[in-house]
Amino acid sequence: MTRYTKQELKDFETDIANCFNNGQIRAPVHLYDGNEEYLIKIFEDINDDDWVFCTWRSHYQCLLKGVPAKTLKEDILNGKSITLCYPKHRIYSSAIVTGSIPIATGVALDIKRKAQTNQVWCFLGDMAAETGCFYENHKYAVNMDLPINFIIEDNSKSVCTPTKEVWNSDGCSFKGEQKVLYYSYNTKYPHAGAGKRIQF
Amino acid sequence: MKYFDELKRSMDWLGDKGDTFFLGQAVAFPGTGMTNTIKDVAESKKMEMPVNEDLQMGITTGMAMNGTVPISIFPRWNFLILAANQIVNHLDKMPLMSEGGYTPKVIVRTAIGAQRPLHPQHQHVGDFTGGFRAMCDTLEIIRLDEPNQIFEAYQRAYERTDGKSTILVEWGDFYNEK
Repeated sequence: MTRYTKQELKDFETDIANCFNNGQIRAPVHLYDGNEEYLIKIFEDINDDDWVFCTWRSHYQCLLKGVPAKTLKEDILNGKSITLCYPKHRIYSSAIVTGSIPIATGVALDIKRKAQTNQVWCFLGDMAAETGCFYENHKYAVNMDLPINFIIEDNSKSVCTPTKEVWNSDGCSFKGEQKVLYYSYNTKYPHAGAGKRIQF
Repeated sequence: MKYFDELKRSMDWLGDKGDTFFLGQAVAFPGTGMTNTIKDVAESKKMEMPVNEDLQMGITTGMAMNGTVPISIFPRWNFLILAANQIVNHLDKMPLMSEGGYTPKVIVRTAIGAQRPLHPQHQHVGDFTGGFRAMCDTLEIIRLDEPNQIFEAYQRAYERTDGKSTILVEWGDFYNEK
């Protein structure tokens, strides 16, 4: 795992935000803010040979898993932010809600079947965490005791939809469950982009 | 050889490979005609899955990412369409999204449900080969219309080096008729 400070992570996203607002990126970007300390702490336990599965918002995970910042920025500028994939670093990102969860479960099953010693870390948002897909995968992973950790990143919304309101629930259904890490955060960025409407 | 015998020969051949693994519905337990085609595959290479096609397809792709060649069994197209997200948005697009970095080799077995001697009605006899070909950019979908296609098709699916996965579509009626 690669060491970054909170400020270094924030500076990277600020740079990408400026690039986006300057019209240098002709594709969506989804920026993190306010969760740096959580991710730095989580990545202290993630090893080089571990697998990391992400959503469309994955810049921090890529940096912390060891993708060079220069490479990452180039790929983002080339429009790849939404599905960043780095086989060398065992990172897979999906732009479909819940999309990477069953795949992460499959890697974990294969790791256990082969008696390998690495682990899987699967990041998902608060809306994905309320779906049937997550229920099924979490149940399977717990019952089979697979080497997988699900990290629920709760920014309280899916795009602009308030997760708890539309489910009429008080909180995250899986907070505190086995194999689940949970944190909540507030971000200064919108779901996509960096706050400035770009006309190409 | 007949249709069923060619399928059995293909599964025996795949079962002898060190890196293959069979998973799905009616795989480790009886239940469909497909079960009989893998009856001589070692039990240690077979895993019954919960009936949940999206979960099974994602798990299949994940196992392939970790170096296994999974043979994932969905008894009918009408069931497999429940895994459309994992097939179309992930397994098929992964080589494109990663620019050839992730090329999981997956073998999917499915079938067009048999209509004879019992007709299972509208939700069990679908053939979505054309629809999935239209939705997929990298996956190859092969419909096994004749016995002499079968072994070659499964051999090609296992030995291919072009980074593609393969869906092989069987005809339930031909298990007894060809």
